[in-house]
Amino acid sequence: MTSVRPKLKPDTPKAVTAWETATGQNVWMTANGSWTQDVSQIAAFIGDEAEARLAEAMTQEGAVTDPYFMEVTEMGEITGRETLRETIRAKGPTVSYGEGA
Amino acid sequence: MYRYDEFDARIVSERVAQFRGQVDRRLSGELLEDEFKPLRLQNGVYLQLHAYMLRVAIPYGQLNGRQLRQLAIVARDYDRNYGHFTTRQNIQFNWVALKDIPDVLAKLAEVEMHAIQTSGNCIRNVTSDHYAGATKDELMDPRPWCEIIRQWSTFHPEFAFLPRKFKIAVTAAEHDRAAIRVHDIGLHIRKRGDVVGFEVHVGGGQGRTPHLATLVNDFVPEAKLLDYLEAIMRVYNRFGRRDNKYKARIKILVSELGEAEFRRLVDAEYAAQRDNEKIDLPQAEIDRIHAYFAPPELAAKPDASEAVEALKAEDSEFARWARINLHPHKQPGYTSVTVSLKPIGGLAGDATDAQMMTVAHLAETYAYDDIRVSHAQNLVLPHVALDDLPDVYRELKAAGLHTANESLITDMIVCPGLDYCNLANARSIPVGQAVQQVFADPDYQEDIGRLHINISGCINACGHHHVGHIGILGVDKKGEEFYQITFGGRADEKAAIGDIAGPGLKADDVPGALKRVVDTYRELRADKTELFIETLARLGHDPFKEALYAAG
Repeated sequence: MTSVRPKLKPDTPKAVTAWETATGQNVWMTANGSWTQDVSQIAAFIGDEAEARLAEAMTQEGAVTDPYFMEVTEMGEITGRETLRETIRAKGPTVSYGEGA
Repeated sequence: MYRYDEFDARIVSERVAQFRGQVDRRLSGELLEDEFKPLRLQNGVYLQLHAYMLRVAIPYGQLNGRQLRQLAIVARDYDRNYGHFTTRQNIQFNWVALKDIPDVLAKLAEVEMHAIQTSGNCIRNVTSDHYAGATKDELMDPRPWCEIIRQWSTFHPEFAFLPRKFKIAVTAAEHDRAAIRVHDIGLHIRKRGDVVGFEVHVGGGQGRTPHLATLVNDFVPEAKLLDYLEAIMRVYNRFGRRDNKYKARIKILVSELGEAEFRRLVDAEYAAQRDNEKIDLPQAEIDRIHAYFAPPELAAKPDASEAVEALKAEDSEFARWARINLHPHKQPGYTSVTVSLKPIGGLAGDATDAQMMTVAHLAETYAYDDIRVSHAQNLVLPHVALDDLPDVYRELKAAGLHTANESLITDMIVCPGLDYCNLANARSIPVGQAVQQVFADPDYQEDIGRLHINISGCINACGHHHVGHIGILGVDKKGEEFYQITFGGRADEKAAIGDIAGPGLKADDVPGALKRVVDTYRELRADKTELFIETLARLGHDPFKEALYAAG
């Protein structure tokens, strides 16, 4: 759905992210498989576990929409080719908007 | 303006009920996203970078006060207190929760609005001149024809699954403010003797392969218009490419077939229409729709207003606003007012709920309950008595809506870019704001004169960069944002696609580079009446490219 979703190597740490279906808010998977809107709770997965987590997310269609891998460091911090996009997605627009504009 | 009849009202309310059921099934998991996506798109619901985005149709950009007030209420109660007016003269809400969208659509239906056909591969909102029905330079009011096309194209069963989206614009003025040459179909209303007809341009568009439309027919009489449009749509529906999304727009078909062959196919399709399928619009129906657009009854007034002249003399800020943001009205003593949504450092096209309430109040109090959205992302009050301008200005100023920059360099078209959009490669808004800052001085802007800078955050060109006098295209190079500059585009009757000046610039370098370009223009122009685009045409692009890449 996004314009660019680079293919990540199996050993690259990755997070699973999606949109909460009811609200559209961005969510990320935590270490225990639940969903959070708190970016400090993002879990990093690698290899087969990452694939299993994404597959699991795809079974939760009512709760979340269009889950995908996002590149992160082992500590779960956003990194890689899509850092700008994913940082904006995580933190919101880089400009003040609405009554704050 | 057009008012819903019982059929319109029923269709819209039934669609709301249908979508409510679809949303319930999505939330329960009964519908998967792949199944739901085409359904939500048919109702104007996108999934963007941060949230769902709801695009609401504003047919040919016309609203009344009650409708704008309802949009303000939606912004306040279901979004984050603002909305974004678009280059298709629509409005988008950026943060609406899916679970709430059926309620929002029900609220819109109360004021004869909806989000149908604001997305998907169908005929989208018909756009027009934002001064329609008011401007001195039009042959006639194009809105009745926009409405006729809207009615024909809404839920047209044959054109619900076109190869790609389809955009139609209509103008009736020599100075084209509807950008008809960069639309899939652009219509220019003409007259031959007493017969009203249409010049039909087909195959214009922007995006990754910009094309100017081809003149396919120089006069289709009004009664035949819908049959002729139907012939074009059938040719497109049959021969338009469905194998490649990037080659699916009608511009590619026209270009690949060539003008003569495309025209031959349309003529053959038109000739093959059977009598029982011809629409052959009856005069009574044309008249019925026209009656909805009867001009307001404007009392006779003198050419000038003493109140305005007095305020101009004492308030130079008002005098500047009156010089820049007013457009000549066909009736003496009246004017069309542009309400700029481009404050310096603001977000182009955004309005808060409070600002929408202010404009709704002004429309109802001073402007015959008529509001327009312009494709340049501003609002317009088309019919305002000159005598009322001081009051209108005071209220606009109190709401922060008095920026005097209509068609000046800071009146930029700016797409949402990577700050909001899932497709964008680079941010548009902060770059637009930084460009505005270097040209913020009102005297400087006025000295520069009419100059359109348009910026898009990706090649899809929602910010119309191809037709900006100066275009800015954001691109991504290995995760870093760069901005490619084009010169020489224009969207009006002399439509042209801009030429790329050279390598992209870093965001921080764009404002300074554009300032050098503009100052070069100020040095080289023949006189102060020669616009940037005219100097560029006279001298060629080289001096401006040199300035663009000169060391800061």
